[in-house]
Amino acid sequence: MTTPAIETTVLTKRYGRTWALRDCSLAVPAGRIAALVGPNGAGKTTLLHLAVGLLDPTSGSVRTLGASPRERADILARVGFVAQDAPLYAGFTVRDTLELGRHLNPTWDEDFAIERMRRHDIDLRQRAGTLSGGQRAQVALTLAVAKRPEVRVLDEPLASLDPLARREFLASLMEATAESDLTVLLSSHLVTDMERICDYLIVLSQSRVQVLGEVDTLLATHRVLTGRRKDRAEVAGAEVISASHTERQSTLFVRSTTSIPDPVWTAHEVSLEDLVLEYLAQPAASMLPGPAADGPRDSMEVRA
Amino acid sequence: MIWLTWRQHRQQALAAAIGLGLVAGFFLVTHPGIANTFNSTGLASCLGTPGRDCGQIADQFDRQYRGLQFLVPLFLVVPLLVGLFWGAPLVARELEQGTHRLVWTQSVTRRRWFSTKLALIACAVVVGAAVFAELVTWWSGIFVRLHDARFTPGIFDIRGIVPVAYALFALALGVLVGTLVRRTLPAMAATLGGFIAVRVLVTLFARPHYVAAKTASTPVVLAKLGGIMVGNDSFAGGWIIKQVTVDRLGNVLSGGQGLDFASLSGRCPGVIPPPPTEPSPAQLAACLDRLGVHTLTTYQPATRFWAFQGIEFAIYAVLALVMFGAAAWVVRRRLA
Repeated sequence: MTTPAIETTVLTKRYGRTWALRDCSLAVPAGRIAALVGPNGAGKTTLLHLAVGLLDPTSGSVRTLGASPRERADILARVGFVAQDAPLYAGFTVRDTLELGRHLNPTWDEDFAIERMRRHDIDLRQRAGTLSGGQRAQVALTLAVAKRPEVRVLDEPLASLDPLARREFLASLMEATAESDLTVLLSSHLVTDMERICDYLIVLSQSRVQVLGEVDTLLATHRVLTGRRKDRAEVAGAEVISASHTERQSTLFVRSTTSIPDPVWTAHEVSLEDLVLEYLAQPAASMLPGPAADGPRDSMEVRA
Repeated sequence: MIWLTWRQHRQQALAAAIGLGLVAGFFLVTHPGIANTFNSTGLASCLGTPGRDCGQIADQFDRQYRGLQFLVPLFLVVPLLVGLFWGAPLVARELEQGTHRLVWTQSVTRRRWFSTKLALIACAVVVGAAVFAELVTWWSGIFVRLHDARFTPGIFDIRGIVPVAYALFALALGVLVGTLVRRTLPAMAATLGGFIAVRVLVTLFARPHYVAAKTASTPVVLAKLGGIMVGNDSFAGGWIIKQVTVDRLGNVLSGGQGLDFASLSGRCPGVIPPPPTEPSPAQLAACLDRLGVHTLTTYQPATRFWAFQGIEFAIYAVLALVMFGAAAWVVRRRLA
């Protein structure tokens, strides 16, 4: 088993009395593109900042590439981070910004960075403060990618982009990812966009991890069932996460590892967005097991 | 990091260099005239001859260069500018604009980021402040000699080596306040207040006691119409901290060197005629002698000038180091 790219153990961050992140245990396996989704204020940014060493945990631990990322130049060199709103030095030209990357990172691919700027039609002489949101995001991403990191952590990279720029950004991210076996963890509240490129999903809600796992597995094990109205929403072999009823019909959102044999119900596949929204609407519901017995665990399993 | 520090602060460096250049230019233009007048009026040779009264030439010289002498206290402000415009924004601006998230996630630890930046900027501050202090010391030399003001608070503070320590202190204060307040403008305001407060407190309450002050008792040497001057010139170039005129029993007759008749009348019956008759100088002298009037002066002798410069330098340098350390700790452990 290889070391997970990012692994947290009962990770907790508190600001005074406010819990930003609570008992968060998860692992992002190496080589995945993982989406971190959740409503605003769920703790996404806190988790990402902990993962790149910008924050210290209140308790618990976070290990990035097997070590605490805090004040470790060797770990920082292997992690590329783009913060929310892609901060850049406004007075620096794009060339200065790339120079910064070259001077502060031992593994810096200058040709790649220049080529990427050329491809996106970004003038190297332009000041960073005058770039459009899309260009800004591209420059910030280039800075994070040209250092050739094994893990990329991107906080809301799509937020400031219009739909076209968003598609381009995702395409460039995919293409940059395809080149090597690297891990991406990106946060977003736009689940639709995530569905296209991500193969791993983390849902944060109210400072806690609510859903965690491979996208394929999640989609295969969740179903929407419709059928004649039944007030007691119980289905053999499945766990009902939410139920809604009209006068004549019941709609259930269930998790099940097997197919639903009960002919009363018609099963429908769910989209990733539906899945996320159903869970977020039920903060009490969680697909995470309770305190698990000790034993070998794979990267997907979670210690609560 | 060296490149980044230069790129981020080159404008500030340029502005400081221009400012320093303007001041140097001003000094170079005005100094020859001052020196010329000083020599040609005979003031230089007069001051060089012990015992001569140069009052009249000195007054004339003073009048001519009053405007320039008013500039001298302005140089007190220069170290503060370092704290306001270099120190306070150093970390606060990064936090304000979110760029700390950019620079702290490159392959450089915060410790290295902070120490390299601070070391380079502190070096620039030391060099700049040393050049500035040297220029001011040279240019103001004549005025200071004329007034024997080397030790006077306000003059002591702009010459010698202490301006360098003030500038470092201001830088450290600005940086520390910026890391704590996290916003540039409030940090600048707090730096302004903090710097002035520390400087005033140290000057008023600590500096007089760096070395135990000497006390001298001096008899009346001069009597003038309308009042009596007592004391002598043995404090030349020294720092007079406190002066009182007392009688033989220690009763304070006046705070300072002066003495007015009212305090004497009635105390020398038979020696001084009662008011409104004016006593003659001889009568006054006889009265002062009878009462044992003398001046007690608490002072720091002129020879201690460099010792005081050294002590004051050390105090501010240590304060600066402590604050640099505190700021480094906050940056590494407390900031996100």
